[in-house]
Amino acid sequence: MSLQKLTDFSTYKLSILDEQGKVDEKLLPKLSNTQLVELYSHLINLHVFDEKALKLQRQGRIGTYGSCAGQEACTVGTAYAMEKQDWTFPAFREHGVFMTRGVPMVNVFQYWGGDERGSKVESDMNCFPVAIPVGSQPLHAVGCALAMRYLKKDAVAIGYFGDGATSEGDTLEAMNFAGVFQAPVVLVCQNNQFAISEPRSLQTRAETIAQKAIAFGFEGIQVDGNDVLAVYQAMKQALEKARAGKGPTLLELYTYRMGDHTTADDSTRYRNKEELETWRKRDPIVRFKTYLTAIGVLTPALEEKIMNEAVSKVERAVQAYETMPAPSPSDMFDYMYAQLTPELAEQKKNFLAHLSRVNNASSSKSGEGPGFP
Amino acid sequence: MPLDFKFPDVGEGTTEGTLVKWLLAEGDKVKADQPIAEIETDKAVVEIPSPKTGVILKLYGKPGEVIKVGNVLATIGDAGESAGASKPTPTQTTTVSPSKSPASLAQGSTSSSTNAILATPSTRQLARSLNVDLSRVKGTGPGGRITDEDVKNASAVSTITKSKSPSSSIPPSAPSSSYREPWESAPSASASSLPHVHPDDTVETTQGTHVVSPLAHVESTKQAWKSEGSEERIPLRGLRKTISDRMVKSMFTAVQVTHMDEVDVTALVELREKEKLKMEKKGIKLTFLPFIAKACVAALHNHPYLNASIDDSTQEVVLKKYFHVGMAVDTEDGLIVPVIRNVDQKSIVQLAQEMQDIAQKTRERRISPEDLKGSTFTITNIGSLGGVYATPVINWPEVAILGVGKIQEKPVVRAGKIVIRHMMTVSLTFDHRIIDGAQAVRFTNEILQHLEDPGLFLLDVI
Repeated sequence: MSLQKLTDFSTYKLSILDEQGKVDEKLLPKLSNTQLVELYSHLINLHVFDEKALKLQRQGRIGTYGSCAGQEACTVGTAYAMEKQDWTFPAFREHGVFMTRGVPMVNVFQYWGGDERGSKVESDMNCFPVAIPVGSQPLHAVGCALAMRYLKKDAVAIGYFGDGATSEGDTLEAMNFAGVFQAPVVLVCQNNQFAISEPRSLQTRAETIAQKAIAFGFEGIQVDGNDVLAVYQAMKQALEKARAGKGPTLLELYTYRMGDHTTADDSTRYRNKEELETWRKRDPIVRFKTYLTAIGVLTPALEEKIMNEAVSKVERAVQAYETMPAPSPSDMFDYMYAQLTPELAEQKKNFLAHLSRVNNASSSKSGEGPGFP
Repeated sequence: MPLDFKFPDVGEGTTEGTLVKWLLAEGDKVKADQPIAEIETDKAVVEIPSPKTGVILKLYGKPGEVIKVGNVLATIGDAGESAGASKPTPTQTTTVSPSKSPASLAQGSTSSSTNAILATPSTRQLARSLNVDLSRVKGTGPGGRITDEDVKNASAVSTITKSKSPSSSIPPSAPSSSYREPWESAPSASASSLPHVHPDDTVETTQGTHVVSPLAHVESTKQAWKSEGSEERIPLRGLRKTISDRMVKSMFTAVQVTHMDEVDVTALVELREKEKLKMEKKGIKLTFLPFIAKACVAALHNHPYLNASIDDSTQEVVLKKYFHVGMAVDTEDGLIVPVIRNVDQKSIVQLAQEMQDIAQKTRERRISPEDLKGSTFTITNIGSLGGVYATPVINWPEVAILGVGKIQEKPVVRAGKIVIRHMMTVSLTFDHRIIDGAQAVRFTNEILQHLEDPGLFLLDVI
């Protein structure tokens, strides 16, 4: 009889840029001044887009929308570290992933306006569409990663999900496969502290989400999700590791959802103002701006120029979205399969026949907005 | 060109909202995306931003009024334009991007200013045959479309109105303009002239059978308001509306009978007096309510049909094996019933603490919606302000509610002598659909036994 210690584990948290805009020089990622400005522009674009989208929803110009306020660095920072050939599998708060990777902003507006064509991107853009089901994205990403290795492609797959998804069997199964088969995948958990109204404390007894990776035999790291430099750096390393055949990484981006879950939610009912104010001081854009200003990369004139460009970019995208010809109601059949299954083909036929019977069919231009879990 | 900005679906499937306040006034300049109104929906209070830069030409509705999704909220134009210039019609009113707004599509145009009559040819035919002027009928169908029912209702109203001519049977002493119940002065009308009236609407009168359309009732009520003047109309909304809906649902669903009794709680009063101070030191206010809740749960254990509901869809009685007790709390805005869960698994001290916390949260309206759901039995304190007995209304879908009166010293007879004891009244309303009187009395007796002899609580301890 004996009691022997078998293993020992540690979990790390990476942060580079603090709330005051000060950096740890030793940890700084290698980014040129031009790249730093580009990174900042992406954050501002996303922020302006997000504010506009909320207004559009309240004016009835798009459907239900999930704001990414406070979490801008998570999507921009990760996407900025990717290569063009990498595959992304977003949940629904990853507007910044689409736009940073080069998907036109108008597509994102289209999607949230209920126009499925917004999910259709250029064939060389490896961006999967928004997937609302909780925890489905890790499965897709791991599957894609294994496919990439099988096809001998130099691409990494990235799956996005939230803290709530870590309680889903699908996410845990995906992590198990990722570990067993050393899939070239990065699993990005945006831990924004809430699964709709469920606080992180009720999601898991584990101290961190990052440590969940240990059980599956790979590395997990917690990253300050409001620190765009840390997010970028952690992602960069995880991608390099995956590309070098050294297996998966779980990134827990520790952040906070400043807005409601979606426009159909009222978060004042389940969280307090003090907490919100604490997190407001940790704003990812403000601290990055402070840093860039301090090192002389960002001047007031440049800052204003970036803001103005973002505003006009968003306005142009809104205009393009609203002047877009209406999609056809039968579109709903057309984007799931390259070739329709026999059942769907029949349904489509019946539907088209029904449409021609309904005299005002041509006016039904828009569909319902996306549904939410 | 002025723009009629319609109230969109700001939630997910929201159909209406209550105007909290206007943030701008008619004539004010407005910038695109600047908030113009605060509206409360079933989800949240939201700010509605203007879709364009210009001048507010007209605002529709007053604070407190309910606004339907799809109705025009504001007309926004350029300085010098007038709201009338836009003349909204169903096809051209839609604002910014009609095609992109699921809400405006789903609701169609319900704009009040629309003049076009929406009705199918067969409805128009029906209107002609019943001699109904469609321009005077308000459509209840999709997008304000006039349905066959609307036409029939309108026809029924006009028939009644016509027959209420001075020569009808209104007694000469009654002021002709005052409101009267439709059957009071009813002339006999033949059912055949009023198609499709539900048999439930038939009211027996001494003059024979009079068929009353529900709409006729409303019409005559409106007449009365016009002439009397000094009345105030307050929109039924928010918590009041919820209470109203739930009371109606309860009264029209359950067959409610109230059993009343009285109990000697002298021993319980003494017990509480003895322990009260000890509890106070722990910050717990020991009231009688946790004892009553415990006594109810003890009795519910033995009478599962009192801790039940009826599933109307399957015609099954659902016996609940959990004991969540609703506690009616009077707040400034109205009655709220928070729920104390698993009362059977908690001690009297725990219950006292929990009830204290939850009552305070409820009064401050900080209670979460989750804490208002799922009760299996409700207790209401009817005696705190006065009164002896009451007939509480069942908190549907529950099947019983216990009202407790004030504890008072009263002279009672014990062993042939008049003595003064602490007495409390109880009023148990039960649903006679599944509970008979005898069972209700047996159940009440068990509650009373515990309250009369608090030693029984000790015997219940696991």
